[in-house]
Amino acid sequence: MSCGFEVLNAGILATIQDSGRKGLGSIGVTEAGAMDEHAFSWLNRLLGNSYGTNALEIVFGGVKLKAVGTTYIALSGAQVDATINNKPIEIWKTYKINDGDILNLGFATNGARVYLGVVGGFDIGPEFGSVSVCIKEGIGGGALKKNDFLSFTCSGLTDIRKLMLKYKPDYNETLTLRVVKGYQWDLFEKDQRDKFFSSEYVVTSQNDRMGYRLAGEKISSTCKGIISEPIAYGAVQIPSHGEPIVLLKERQTIGGYPKIGSVIPIDCFTLAQRKQDSKVRFELVSLNEARTLCQEFYRYFKEI
Amino acid sequence: MEYSVASVDSFVIYFGQKIGSEVAREVRRVFYTLKEAKVEGITELIPSYTSIMVSYDFMQFSYEQICKKVEEALEHAEEFYKETASRCIILPVYYGEDVGLDLADMAKDKKMSMQEIIDIHSRKEYFVYAIGFAPGFPYMGEVDESIATARLANPRGKIPKGSVGIADRQTAVYPRQSPGGWNIIGRTPVEMFDTSYQGFSYFKVGDKIKFMPISKDEFIKEGGQL
Repeated sequence: MSCGFEVLNAGILATIQDSGRKGLGSIGVTEAGAMDEHAFSWLNRLLGNSYGTNALEIVFGGVKLKAVGTTYIALSGAQVDATINNKPIEIWKTYKINDGDILNLGFATNGARVYLGVVGGFDIGPEFGSVSVCIKEGIGGGALKKNDFLSFTCSGLTDIRKLMLKYKPDYNETLTLRVVKGYQWDLFEKDQRDKFFSSEYVVTSQNDRMGYRLAGEKISSTCKGIISEPIAYGAVQIPSHGEPIVLLKERQTIGGYPKIGSVIPIDCFTLAQRKQDSKVRFELVSLNEARTLCQEFYRYFKEI
Repeated sequence: MEYSVASVDSFVIYFGQKIGSEVAREVRRVFYTLKEAKVEGITELIPSYTSIMVSYDFMQFSYEQICKKVEEALEHAEEFYKETASRCIILPVYYGEDVGLDLADMAKDKKMSMQEIIDIHSRKEYFVYAIGFAPGFPYMGEVDESIATARLANPRGKIPKGSVGIADRQTAVYPRQSPGGWNIIGRTPVEMFDTSYQGFSYFKVGDKIKFMPISKDEFIKEGGQL
């Protein structure tokens, strides 16, 4: 019999994600992939998986699974009350799970997305080079459903690993999103830019895998619309309503709203852990500084 | 050509400020040149109406370094890309009122008959400027001024797969059922996006398209769904 998880409770929105679909933007296929690569990468690090191994991305928790076969699992990202057979477990730590065990996740108290990984990842065939689910494009299958079976290869890991406290993020803190200027930067006058970088914004209910719409000080530019052009990860769109939208993993490949610049990837990851009403601010960084910061992240996770 | 930073690992090359076939030709030339030249460090190229976004491996190269590589590749453009006559694709469309959800309203609005709108739409040859919004969704232009129509004030929650629409002077085909605000005038039985196609998308940037009106019977025979 094959090993895996029987889905007893599918939660609100749980999808399989890896590091995303690359290189298909020119035919309109969005990138998708794990929204919070920080938690996702730590998860794989803890499990001894290679960079970008797939995991289940669970929005707000609420998932219940029954194990068939034995493997090691870990949870990362949002803080949830999790149990194995009603015994509390920690997140950011690996656990052995045995045949018949029930893994139950409560609802997130700090953060929005919790990642569940297994040694070697789930056994799923890629579509266009990735197993990432993109519901709006109908690629990679759909959201987790009750009675689904998530296959994995039974595995034994030799040691239990745990993340040191100092690395654990607090997603309730006000988040500063570092931005590199770009795109239509010049179409925003100085007083508008100053307003953008000195105001506090809150995450609205319109936040999903495509992007986060923020509410707060309205910003205006000297143009209403632009000729549709390609959109980068983290691009900050300012439509005519004046409130910024940060575009994330499932952004449209091209669009016609002015953009003031782009949030750097490592800050997009932590934005993806923010819920409605969370506070965010923007801070300008130079391209060089941004590059150094992001290089540090990828060097750490990719090169070991 | 103007360069602008887009993000920590991408930039946009702008070719002009107006949509048109001249600019589109330049976009196409640079897009296919860079693609063929396989410039080291470039991870993705996305073309649009008047611009191309270049994504690169920022672990290895800085913005300045990658711009220089792009410039070098373009100096040797003729080795990589030769402008050829773009292929012309005939796309069959059933323009019935039962699938052309906005035909009647458009006709009323423009004081034309529905047949006139169909004739004007299917008479012209269009150019694929970009593929985006959704997998295989071709942005084509430009429709005759007389049938140009602003997007719906209230976008539809569900536009059926294969729907042919107009937004301002653009026309496009919805590759799958999706929400959208374009004015729908007909439906094609042809799949826009399929793993069996080379490159997955039925159209490529730079293709020429002509719509061919077909009957309801032909539409169904070709696999179209009402």
